[in-house]
Order: sequence, then C-alpha cells, then structure tokens
Amino acid sequence: MVKTADKIEEEIAAIFSGDSPWVTIVWDDPVNLMSYVTYVLMELFGYSKAKANELMLKVHNEGKAVVSTGSREEMEHDVARLHEFGLWATLQRGDQAL
Amino acid sequence: MSNTEGFKRHGSNSYIAEFSQSEREILINLAEQIIELLAERVDHGHEDPLAAMVGITSHDSPPEDAVLHRLLPNAYADDVDAAEFRRYTESTLRNKKQAHAMAMRMYLKSAEDNIVDIDHDLANAWLGALNDIRLAVGVRLNVAEKTTEDLELLAPDDPMSAVYTVYSWLGWLQETLVMALMDDAGSI
Repeated sequence: MVKTADKIEEEIAAIFSGDSPWVTIVWDDPVNLMSYVTYVLMELFGYSKAKANELMLKVHNEGKAVVSTGSREEMEHDVARLHEFGLWATLQRGDQAL
Repeated sequence: MSNTEGFKRHGSNSYIAEFSQSEREILINLAEQIIELLAERVDHGHEDPLAAMVGITSHDSPPEDAVLHRLLPNAYADDVDAAEFRRYTESTLRNKKQAHAMAMRMYLKSAEDNIVDIDHDLANAWLGALNDIRLAVGVRLNVAEKTTEDLELLAPDDPMSAVYTVYSWLGWLQETLVMALMDDAGSI
C-alpha cells in the first residue's frame, strides 16, 4: 500500500505544480517498419503525418524518442496502447536521463 | 512469393487485397500460432477470483520465452515498477493481441473467396496481428543480430531460408496496408 500512497502523492504533486513530469519513450526495433511506426503514432496520438514522421526518424536515427508527455497515469495508458500495436515503449520520469 | 499487388484503397473506408490460396492458408496458420502462443501464458494460481475478474494476473515477471517477451515487454526500466505494471495490465494486453489475430483469422476462415475487403478498424486489427507475427518470426530469425544480407544469403536448404521468405512477404504486405491507410490519414 505504501507504493500506492506514493503514487497518489506524486499525482497530487503533479496536479498542483502544473508539471507534466512523465514521458513515454519509443525505442528503435529492427522489425517494425518505418512507415508502420509513423502510422501508429498518427493513429494513437492524432499527430500529423509530418510530426509522426519526424518522431519516427528520431527513433530510427537516435535509437529512441519521447513521443508523449503527461501524468504517470496518462503515460501508462500510452505505453499500453503502443504495446498493443507492437511498438517497443517504456515510460519514466521526465527529469530522468534518457 | 506473391504475384498480387497487396492492399489497395477503394473508396473512403475499404482496403482490398487478393491472396492466393496458399497465402491465405499461411496467414491463417500464423495467426493461429500467435493465438496459441499467447494462450500458453496462462495465469497460474489465482487465489482471488475477484482479482482475476478485474484483470489482475499472477504474472509480475516477464516471460522467459524470447518471443513472448517481445510481444509482452516491460513498461519500465525499473524491475519493481515493471512488475507492478505487468500484474495489472498483462492479461489485457494479451487479450487485445489475441483479438487482433482472431479478427484476421476469422475473416480469412469465413471468406468465400481469396479477396479480402476490410474497413479501417479491421485494417488496424490486421496491422497489429501482422506486426505481432513479424515480431515473433523476427525473434526466431534473430534479425536483431543479423544483417539483411546475412538473411538473404541463407542456403536454400536452410529451414530459416523459407522462414525469411515468409517474413519478407509479411513485411511487404504490411507496408502495402500501411500505405493504403496513410492515403486517408496523410491529408491532415
């Protein structure tokens, strides 16, 4: 239960500070097609083709990219949806080193 | 492997492809393998039926099988956070992946001919299923460690050579479906 209490405190702190302290990261994967990654980012996040393509290229060239930012709960939701479509995604605090 | 053109967009919400009988059978077979593989990851030792009902599973560690591990990856780098997230979400993720593969299998099983005509939502399920199949086959082919050249130079009598042919065909098929779908979305 300590864990849950911590989580709630964290969420409350985030609400009052107005911060969006968590990020969702997509990692490069040798199987996923570049076009498919772009398409999934457009579908799940409603990004324009240009923005989704830019994020995909960042994943491809740099090995990873932050694709969304928000509360921990929102990022858990985003990661779950990315996993559903087979993208390799994790979430972490925004101030943690990538 | 294919003499068809892959998926093409027809009208506003219709994506059509024609398959050969053997291509159709391969897709059905691969979808069934994914469904079975995910079903092997059963939830052992549920002591709390209420927990099972709300989707909490007994799993808090990642699957040992490399393919299942890729299909059901950790959401956090931190093991403790990853375990907790998995306990609450893995069964939902498995169900969604199975639903994608089942949607593709059911369509192909019940179609009266080899022509596939799917709408946007069903196309997304197909994409998810095709991608899961490619992830699974990719792990078996060890694509992470090998170059395209390594794979293309596999001896014809190497069983992995046939697997690579299927893998390449699936990638091509998936690409045609993505392109047909982006025809719509690309206008944003």
